[in-house]
Amino acid sequence: MQKLLETLLIGVSTGSIYALMSLALVLVWRSTRVVNFAQAGQAMLSTYIGFEIASRSEIFWLGLACAITAGALLGAGVDFFFMRVLFKHAVSGPAVVVAPVIATLGLLGLIRSIVGLIWGGEFKSIEAPASKDGFTIGQTTIPFSALNLLIITTVSLILITLAIIFQRTNLGLSLRASAYAPEIAQLAGIKTGRTRTIGWAIAGGVGGVAGMLVTSYNFLSPYSLDLLLVFGFIAAVIGGLESMVGSVIGALTLGIGLTFILNYVGTSLVFIGGFAVLVVVLLLKPDGIMARGKVRRA
Amino acid sequence: MRKKIAFFILLGWLLLFIGDRVDELRVYQGAQIAMYTIALASIVLLTGYSGQVSLGNGAMMAVGGYAAALTLNKLGSPIWFAFLMAVFFSALFGALLGTAAARLSGPYLAGTTLALAVGLPEIANQFAFLGGVPGILFDVGFPPARFGEEFTQYKWFFWIATFLALLSLFITSNILQSRFGRTWSAIRSNSLAAELSGIHSSRMKILAFTISSALAGLAGAVLAMTISLVAPGAYTLTLSFALVTGAVLAGVSSLPGVALGALILVAIPEIADVLANSWGGGENFSNYLPGLIVSLLLILSVIFTPNGPGENLRKHRHNKASED
Repeated sequence: MQKLLETLLIGVSTGSIYALMSLALVLVWRSTRVVNFAQAGQAMLSTYIGFEIASRSEIFWLGLACAITAGALLGAGVDFFFMRVLFKHAVSGPAVVVAPVIATLGLLGLIRSIVGLIWGGEFKSIEAPASKDGFTIGQTTIPFSALNLLIITTVSLILITLAIIFQRTNLGLSLRASAYAPEIAQLAGIKTGRTRTIGWAIAGGVGGVAGMLVTSYNFLSPYSLDLLLVFGFIAAVIGGLESMVGSVIGALTLGIGLTFILNYVGTSLVFIGGFAVLVVVLLLKPDGIMARGKVRRA
Repeated sequence: MRKKIAFFILLGWLLLFIGDRVDELRVYQGAQIAMYTIALASIVLLTGYSGQVSLGNGAMMAVGGYAAALTLNKLGSPIWFAFLMAVFFSALFGALLGTAAARLSGPYLAGTTLALAVGLPEIANQFAFLGGVPGILFDVGFPPARFGEEFTQYKWFFWIATFLALLSLFITSNILQSRFGRTWSAIRSNSLAAELSGIHSSRMKILAFTISSALAGLAGAVLAMTISLVAPGAYTLTLSFALVTGAVLAGVSSLPGVALGALILVAIPEIADVLANSWGGGENFSNYLPGLIVSLLLILSVIFTPNGPGENLRKHRHNKASED
């Protein structure tokens, strides 16, 4: 019983980080119809910047703030200087369907190489803002630590902020409108181009947080966020790629599920488990858990 | 058809002739170019013709490599049989994956295959019979004695790889020019219209995936041969990305272009080395400069010539013709 509860708690903590990554992917997908594989790279570069600040100032939260800012600027920059140019050029021919995906891959490789050139390949670690030792209840120490609690709290705060932005503000309304029907939104006077760039910026900031949080209990290297990207993608697919709520639910489910595999079966099956979830969801419910009846073919 | 066979035989003879006259390093790089040629042909068939994006070709290559090595080591079979098994098992794997993939479109397929490329090395690390991180040996043995004393190991690699590359190109170009190739193009440009004209689109997509995987598997076995080893570290995400880059540089739907793409992929690390040395950069430079060049090339070509350099030339010629 105790092990069950521990696994559940750790699962929520892991899943909440996946939630950030999958939200970043969903935000971009909704506005641009591109799965942004460069998100892992953007998050990584932001995390490296956050790491530099955090290790120099020895204040984790300052590093986190810088990572968010860097991520947001980077996201906006990628949309403004990169995706717009791409969509202007790639308009016809056999490559047009694959061009955006391949372009984000190229960007991922580019950011990875730049990070490698600056910081090298060795593993870095960030001083965690809270203890990694588990809480002690009575006589027993459980693996759930203050850091896990902090991660869950941070992610919850970010999710609440995002929910308020999307539900209660004009910006959120225009973000939703331009994702749902870009042309109508434009006719209604929304500057869809600028709105899209803001969407990318939000996604970038959220990705930066995900990178910092993962790194706080793990290490940082030019490859360390690849797995996060994959699990974020799986979570987004569970939610149907369209729905923000769905992707958060998907991420928590995935986090809990994978932690159960980790604790009860073993490390070797974690990735296979995640991949199996992806394949099963794609085969049985390709439009995600939030889909209602209507099938979209895109 | 007879002309084509003659052309390939002539090309092969020419390559072997050149192979006899350059130094060892170039011979080895020739084998690498042949390997990339096969791998790129698999992407051209899949992405350029049937319109499915797979970022997991590295994973398919790994399947081929492991299948070949296990066949050779466990059964003690002749080399040709090991290559055949590489093709067989990767085709089988591709058919399975293709069945799932045929129901997926663009981003879903790309993401799934990306997940596979990220995860396969991890999976390979977990199973004892795959040899973990150090991998398993793959030794095709010395060249036959009748080629004489002068005939080096690298030259033997080069002969095998070149033969397999030419064979693959020959078969692939025939498939692409057949009914299948046209059907795939039809599905890619308008799947609804293709289905309305009686094409069984998902079956054809699975077929494309299977053939493409078979080619990738063969390339994986050739790669294993050139490094005498099958290990997770050889089939990384970086390899998968490099292959996509090579295919885009070649022009995703141009089969003759793959040789050029392969040449560029082999040349880039050389060029990066020269640059890194002349700039006097440290270890970071030589480790990450090739990746930087590859990514920059990928980005530039996807923005400016998404359909390959050939297209722009054709357009240019076309514009000129209409001006006259």
